[in-house]
Amino acid sequence: MKRKAALILLILSLAAGARAQGIRDSVFSVPVVKVTAGDMFRPASAGMKESRVDSIIITEKISSSLSGLLSENSNIFIKSHGRGALATASFRGTAPSHTQVSWNGIEINTPMSGMVDFSLIPVYIIDGLSISHGSASIARHSGGLGGSVEISNEADWSDTFSGRYMQGIGSYSTFDEYLGISAGNRKLQVKTRLYHNYSANDYTFVNRGIANIDPGGGQLVNPIDTNHNASYIRYGILQEIYFRPGSRDILSLKYWGQDSKRTLPRATSYEGPDNSNLNNQQSRDHRLTASWEHYGDSSRLQLRTAYTAKDLDYVLKNNIYGAGLIPVIYSQSSQSGFINKVSYRLNMKHGVKLEAGLDAGFYNVSTLDTVSGTGYEQSRFELSSFVGVHRQFADRLNIRIMMRQDLADGQLLPLIPYLGFDYRLLRGHDLVLKANIARNYRQPSLNDLYWEPGGNPGLEPEKGVSAEAGLEFSGSTAGQKIDAELTLYRSDISNWIIWIPGYKGYWEPRNIKRVLSQGLELNAGLSGSTGRLGYSINAGYAYTSSVNYGDTGVWGDESYGKQLVYVPLHSANVMTKFNYGIFSLGWQYNYYSERFTTSSNDISRRDWLYPYFMNDLSAGMEKEIKNLTLSAELKVYNIFNETYHSILYRPMPGRNYMLILMIKF
Amino acid sequence: MKDDELWQRAEVAPADSRSGVFIVNEGNFMYNNASLSYYDTETNEVYNDIFFNTNGLPLGDVAISMTIRDSLGYIVVNNSGKVNILDINNFEYRGKITGLTSPRYIHFINDTKAYVSDLYAQAISIVNPALRELTGRIDLRNNASPYNQHPTEQIVAYGNYVFTNCWSFDNKIMKIDTYNDSVVDSMEVYLQPRSMVMDRYNSLWVLTDGGYEGNPLGYEAPALMRIDAATMSTEMVWRFDKGDWPSGLGLNGRRDTLYFINGDVYRHSVLSESAPEIFIESPYNDSAAAGGGFYGLGVDPYSSEVYVADAIDNVQPGVVYRYSHAAVPVDTFRVGIMPGSFCFK
Repeated sequence: MKRKAALILLILSLAAGARAQGIRDSVFSVPVVKVTAGDMFRPASAGMKESRVDSIIITEKISSSLSGLLSENSNIFIKSHGRGALATASFRGTAPSHTQVSWNGIEINTPMSGMVDFSLIPVYIIDGLSISHGSASIARHSGGLGGSVEISNEADWSDTFSGRYMQGIGSYSTFDEYLGISAGNRKLQVKTRLYHNYSANDYTFVNRGIANIDPGGGQLVNPIDTNHNASYIRYGILQEIYFRPGSRDILSLKYWGQDSKRTLPRATSYEGPDNSNLNNQQSRDHRLTASWEHYGDSSRLQLRTAYTAKDLDYVLKNNIYGAGLIPVIYSQSSQSGFINKVSYRLNMKHGVKLEAGLDAGFYNVSTLDTVSGTGYEQSRFELSSFVGVHRQFADRLNIRIMMRQDLADGQLLPLIPYLGFDYRLLRGHDLVLKANIARNYRQPSLNDLYWEPGGNPGLEPEKGVSAEAGLEFSGSTAGQKIDAELTLYRSDISNWIIWIPGYKGYWEPRNIKRVLSQGLELNAGLSGSTGRLGYSINAGYAYTSSVNYGDTGVWGDESYGKQLVYVPLHSANVMTKFNYGIFSLGWQYNYYSERFTTSSNDISRRDWLYPYFMNDLSAGMEKEIKNLTLSAELKVYNIFNETYHSILYRPMPGRNYMLILMIKF
Repeated sequence: MKDDELWQRAEVAPADSRSGVFIVNEGNFMYNNASLSYYDTETNEVYNDIFFNTNGLPLGDVAISMTIRDSLGYIVVNNSGKVNILDINNFEYRGKITGLTSPRYIHFINDTKAYVSDLYAQAISIVNPALRELTGRIDLRNNASPYNQHPTEQIVAYGNYVFTNCWSFDNKIMKIDTYNDSVVDSMEVYLQPRSMVMDRYNSLWVLTDGGYEGNPLGYEAPALMRIDAATMSTEMVWRFDKGDWPSGLGLNGRRDTLYFINGDVYRHSVLSESAPEIFIESPYNDSAAAGGGFYGLGVDPYSSEVYVADAIDNVQPGVVYRYSHAAVPVDTFRVGIMPGSFCFK
């Protein structure tokens, strides 16, 4: 009996691996793995909204970055500074630092800013992607006041030797190369992935920031400009080794290294010297993690250790007459993290399951602008202990209780409690009511505390109190599967840290904002097949009211009661995919309502981002020749050539193309 | 939504506005949302976003200052590397001077020569405003480290010379001969001279900000200095408390009374030997306040009325307060994002 339980645990833990395999095998087919009944009503996730991104979506977005995937296929709002440029995530109307991101269980938010640049995570390196909305993130870490995104890599134990090569060629001199090779047996699996992306990113646009007076008629003419200084280059390696010495243990070692260089375009209104105001940004990342999982008769023990390092350099140069290119900013920062985690799960009597964990992280930041000589060097030691218990009562009710206690540099944070339940509304049907209530805290980032000038060592942690409730439904008929979910949430975040201009002339972070974030998330999926036609439709809608109720002490401050900047009230997306025989057709639709760039929500023509919708189309075919699978896909982005903005006055590309050729064995 | 709808032009200029003040709203770095407001001092009407509304063209990225010469206004737009020129009566775009590295202020020597100070160029740019061309440079490069290359800020006239203050990570005042465009003298002042004016008795008043904690150049109590322009020698120094951050030094029309911001607005007679006195009290002198505070200051040269701008949180339209010469509140109006400087018509 005990052995059986262990086996079930093992199967459950490898289910993610099966999904990874699904990705490999379903490049242009439609076997959609959605939230299954088992996922929907698991005591371990009682009350939580956790969504696993469909393998079909990961496959469809293989040549994209995680920012592209999340912005088009989830309720997360991505604020992108342009193609290949910085992209941050706002989850349920919270700040980018309120989205926790992990790679194989290791947090990858940088200790400096507390944020993640989603444009730097290519989809190639993702096998499994899950999104924990709101308080569901407490199961993994504190601080995810908006939620968390988990990236995982898994072994496919049935694989003996397989590989694939992908070549992407796109508009604006864009080239993507990806090679993945896996080899192994039932005991040992080795996977290697290599990738390289480059884009000159030199699209043209009507430059509204510049006007020339026509010498004839005197009218103002906007020039057609090229998006200069916007190129990016990225290359990386992901190496995984998995070892299964017996049926009870899995050991793994994973390394992900990446080098990324990019330049950021100047302000569109720039008319200074051609060879001045030039910048480049380089980031080098190393992430190494080793884990050991041991399955006892009714328990699981997991140990994880990781080292992460990031070097980030930013240089701004001007051409000085007689001296050449002289830097005016040469900022170099090194960040590292040494993270160790242990977690234990135990199945007790009466179906009670217990979890406990302890995470320890030591982070170090050293940053210096070698031109001005400003910078700081600081470290932080964080401990996070966790206890959780969950149980299923009959076949209708799941309950989960969690507690997390964090300690940062010897300071105890208040307790992080979570209570959630699932209730099956109709016996025997997959219609489940989920609800939870929780409190969460987020530590200020090291920049918030120590940045020179302005860092404020007296900052308090940000506090979030939230509640949510939702309905999930899943049903299937012959050849058709439908699922839907609706979630309502309310999150009251106080001590929200923002950087404000201080009376000393530089910006300082303060715990001054209180933000009430309330909203609704609606997601639905339909998939199936009739005859040779397969189809899948996934749609999402989010209503996000994220309103500032902070300090009212400043006369004339019109920001009280107003939506936070850059958070759209309405956002929606639809992705459809059809395939017929060897052919496939996909359509991606996105909509964002207006976004404000002023805290007072001015709808002045100048400071306001109008609503936009985006349509992308893809068509592909896939053919098997002997042991090889060959496929080709053409993607057309922005098919209606819409002019739109994600950041004020930053031009976005018009209609553009990408051809993806893939060979698999 | 058609993008084109955003760029329509409109007639916004008030007919026959005889006296008024332009408010230069800096805007946020890299947002291209600098703007220009106009306030008619007779009718008390405010006209916002006049450059954009009249011309269908954003003013640019980080507008620092405006100078009027005849009927044209020259607005220096720092991170756009240019000076935009408009007609001060109908607000129509009249052209631009481009090719500037990181321009801050423009100062006219005559109709065909003007100096443009610069944060990064390691030089003052010489431009021909009539031809709208960059014609030369006054080199300020020295052998010191790249950041200590005399970033020039404000420029004030003294006979055939001008003085310019080197603010960011610097502590120099330079004297430049405007006939042969060369540096003829310089003097060391306290850390980071931020603003500067010349009074009617040819005393140069310099306000330093003292740097900040962790500043590699140093951190000291800011100073208000009176310097004899003829000899370039310090005549008087008034030190603030360490940690203060004074700014916005201005003069009245008779050039005998100084005004500046140090939390509150201070006033000081140029002949007075006593400490500057509080003229207008700021409601936000509590350091725990969530932003807010006086950001820019302008003194009407005709009426000696004082205008003070509050940028609030820097990401919403700021507010300008108008006070009489006796510090009596006259009017309050909302302008653009980060109102930083004033230019009287």
